[in-house]
Amino acid sequence: MKHLSVALFLMLAIAAPAIAAPEDMANDIAAEIMSPYCPGVTLHDCPSAEADQLRARITGWAEAGWSKARIMAQLESEFGSTIRATPTPEGGGLTAWALPLLAVLLGSLLAALLARRWTEASDGERQLGATATAADAVTMTAEDRRRLDAELGVLRSGG
Amino acid sequence: MSLGGLGRPALVAAFFLMALAVGFSLWGALRRKNAAAEAGRRALTAGAGFVGVAGLALVSALFAHDFSLEYVTNYSSRALSRGYTMAALWGGMEGSLLFWTVLLTLFAALALRRPGGTTSMRGWATVVLSGISLFFLLLLLFPANPFRVLADVPADGNGLNPLLQSPGMLIHPPLLYTGFVAFSVPFAFGMAALATKRLDGNWLKQTRRWTLFAWSALSIGIVLGGAWAYTELGWGGYWAWDPVENASFMPWLTATAYLHSVVIQEKRGMFKVWNLSLILATYVLAVFGTFLTRSGILSSIHTFTEGPIGRWFLPFLAAMLIGGLAMIASRLDALKSKNSFDSLLSRESAFLANNVLFLAAAFAVLWGTIYPILMEAVSGVRVAVGPPFFNSVFIPIGLALIGLTGLGPLIAWRRMNKKAFFRMVRVPLIAGAVAVVAPAAAGVRSTGALIAFALCAFTFTAIIGEFVRGSRVHRSREQLGWASALGRALMRNRRRYGGYVVHLGVVLIVLGFAGSAFRVERSAHLAQGQAMQVGDYTLRYERLTRGDTPEKQIFQANISASRGGEVVETLEPQRNLHKVQQQFQSEVAIATGPVEDLYVVVTAIDPDGAASVRAFVNPLTWWIWMGAALMAVGMSVLLSERPARPAPAPAPAPVRRPAVAAR
Repeated sequence: MKHLSVALFLMLAIAAPAIAAPEDMANDIAAEIMSPYCPGVTLHDCPSAEADQLRARITGWAEAGWSKARIMAQLESEFGSTIRATPTPEGGGLTAWALPLLAVLLGSLLAALLARRWTEASDGERQLGATATAADAVTMTAEDRRRLDAELGVLRSGG
Repeated sequence: MSLGGLGRPALVAAFFLMALAVGFSLWGALRRKNAAAEAGRRALTAGAGFVGVAGLALVSALFAHDFSLEYVTNYSSRALSRGYTMAALWGGMEGSLLFWTVLLTLFAALALRRPGGTTSMRGWATVVLSGISLFFLLLLLFPANPFRVLADVPADGNGLNPLLQSPGMLIHPPLLYTGFVAFSVPFAFGMAALATKRLDGNWLKQTRRWTLFAWSALSIGIVLGGAWAYTELGWGGYWAWDPVENASFMPWLTATAYLHSVVIQEKRGMFKVWNLSLILATYVLAVFGTFLTRSGILSSIHTFTEGPIGRWFLPFLAAMLIGGLAMIASRLDALKSKNSFDSLLSRESAFLANNVLFLAAAFAVLWGTIYPILMEAVSGVRVAVGPPFFNSVFIPIGLALIGLTGLGPLIAWRRMNKKAFFRMVRVPLIAGAVAVVAPAAAGVRSTGALIAFALCAFTFTAIIGEFVRGSRVHRSREQLGWASALGRALMRNRRRYGGYVVHLGVVLIVLGFAGSAFRVERSAHLAQGQAMQVGDYTLRYERLTRGDTPEKQIFQANISASRGGEVVETLEPQRNLHKVQQQFQSEVAIATGPVEDLYVVVTAIDPDGAASVRAFVNPLTWWIWMGAALMAVGMSVLLSERPARPAPAPAPAPVRRPAVAAR
C-alpha cells in the first residue's frame, strides 16, 4: 500500500503542465481578469464585441512573445488593478484568502477534538460496561458467527 | 380577457387572511387551543387560495397582453411565444416575488393539511409559515407591486430579455424557487420544535420528504442553470461563480450537510443543535439568495432587475437569523444530547468530516460572494472576486468531499477494525490508482484532473461494491438473477441505495468537471469558405443563411467540422437580432457526445457575411448532464420511500391558566 501511494504521489508530482500555446495563455489570462465591458463577468465569459477585441489584443501580445506577467501589467495599467478577478494576497486582500483556509483548519481541528472527546467518553463507558458484563460473556462458535454474518448482511441490504 | 384587475384585491385579501393566520395560530399554540390553531391553519389555506388567484391574474394579464399593467409592459410583448410569455412571470422582480409567494403559501397549506403532531407544534409551524408569507405579501403590496397600472397604455410591451428566451428558462427558475421555498417547511417545523420543546427526532421525520423534495428541486434547478448557461451564454462553460449562481449553491451546500447530519440524529440521537442550526442557515441563505438576486446589491448578468426591496429584506433576514439563533440558544439545555463515538474509524466520524467540509465550502462561497460588498463598505474600493478565487478555494474541498463520498459507505457504523477497513478499501484504491496511471501513461499532464479521476474511480468502485454486496445477499437468499437482486435491494432500502445512486450521479458530474482541464478554445474571424482549427477539428465556414420571424432576424452560419479529412458534423450557430429590444443574441451550436463536445458560437457577423467564431472542444462535459439525470433517478427513489410515521404526541401537560381566566 505504501509503495502504491509513493508511486502515485510521484506520478502526480511529475504531471507538470505542458508549455501553453499563445492562444491558450491568452484564454487563461482572459479567465483571470474581469471584463471592463460586462459587470461581474470575466473577460473570458463576456459576450460583447469590445470583449472580443480585447481578447484578440491579448492573443496578439501572447503571440508576440509577451510573458503572462507583462500582459497582466499592461492590462492593469490600462484598466486599473480592479481588473484582476482575484484579490491580491496582501493587505486587505489577504483576508479574502486566509478566512476560508482558517475556516477549514479550525473546523477540522474542532471536529477532530470533539470526535476524540466523544470517543474517549465512549471508551470510558465501555470499560465500565465490560466489567459489569464480563461474567455474562459467551463464546461464539464458527457456525454462530457465520449465521450472524449472514443475518447482518441481510440487514445491511435492507432485506 | 385579462383578470389583471383581480390581482391587487386578491393580494390585499391574502394579506389580511395571513395576519389572521398568524394571530389565531399563535393563540392556539400558546394556549394549546385546537380550535384556534385550526382556524389559523384554515386562514392560511384561504390566504394561499387568494395568492393563487393573484398569480393567475398576472398570468392572465400576460397572455391577454394587458399592457395597462407596468409589469406586463416591461417583461412581455405581443410577438413573444406562449412559452416565454409564461416565463415572463418570473422574468422580473415583482413577478418572481409573486411566484415565490404562490409557491410558499401553496407548500405551507399542503404541509399543514394533515392533522398530526401536537396542537402547539402545528400552531407554531403555522405561525412561522404565515409570518413568512405575510412578509412577502407586504413586499407585493408596497415596493414590488406586480399590478401597478400605467397612466398611458402602450400598444406593445418591451418583451422578455433575449437571454431568458431559452427552453431552460421555462424550468430552471421555477425549480430553484421550488427548492428555496420548500425549505421553509422544515425550517418552520424546526422552529416549532424549538418553541414547543419537542426536540426529539419527530420534526425531522415529519419534514423529511419536504427536505428531500426541496433539496432535489434545488439540485436539479442548479444543474439546469448550468445547462442554460452552457447552451445560451456562449462562453463554452456552465458555471461562472456568478453571485447569483453562488446564491443558489450556498443553501444547497448547507442543505446537503443537513441531509447527512440528520442521519446521525436519527441513528444516534446526536447533533440536535447542529441540525437545527443547519436548517436555519439553509433557509436564511435561501432568502439571502433572493435578496442578492433582487436587491441589485451585486452587479451580475443575472440581476436583470433592480428594485428598492433591499431595505425590506435586510430586517427580515436579521429577524430570522437572530430570532432563530436566540431560539436555539434558549433551548440549549433541552437540546443536550449524549455524544459518543465508539471509534474514530466509524461512519459517524465520516459524517462529521463531511459536515465540516460542506460548511467550510458554504463559508468559502459566502465569503467570496460578500467580500466585494464588505470591502467596498469598509474601504470604499470595489474589488473583484471571480472564478479563479472560487476555483482555488472550492476545488480542494470538493475533491475531499468526493473522496469521503466513497469512503463513507465502506466504514461501518460505530466501529471498524483496521484490517476490515483495509479489506474494504482495497479494490476502490486499486481502481483509483489505475485511474491515475492509465491517463498519465497516455500523456495526461494535469495534476488536478488526475486527482479528480482517481477520486472518481475510487468512489465509483466503492459505491458499485455496495450495490454488489447488497444484491449478493438477495441473490443467494431468494435465488434471484443479478438484475432482480439489484432491484430488490434498491426497493427494500430506498433510502440507502437511492442515496448511493445520487452519489454515483455526483461522481459523474465531477468527472465532467475534471474534463474542463483539457478544454481547447480558439477564435477566428472567417469569411465564407475559410477554415480554422480547434483541437483535432477543422471548422469550415460554408455559408450564411438569413431568416425572419415576428420576434427576430436570424443569421445562421453553416459550419462543417471535419476530423482527419472527413466531415463529422455540420453545426449551425446563429447570431440573431431581437426586434423589440434591438439586441443581438448568439445561439450556440453543440455536437455533444460522451468523449467531448464541439461547441461553436458566432459572436459577430459583418455586413459582408464574415463571422467572428469562437470554438471550443469540451471533453467529458456530457457526463455532467448524465450525472444530473442519474441524480434525479436517485432522488426519485429517495422520494418514493414511504414516509416515516412520527411518534404519537405525549398527553398535553395541564395549561397553567392566568388568574383572570380562572375566575
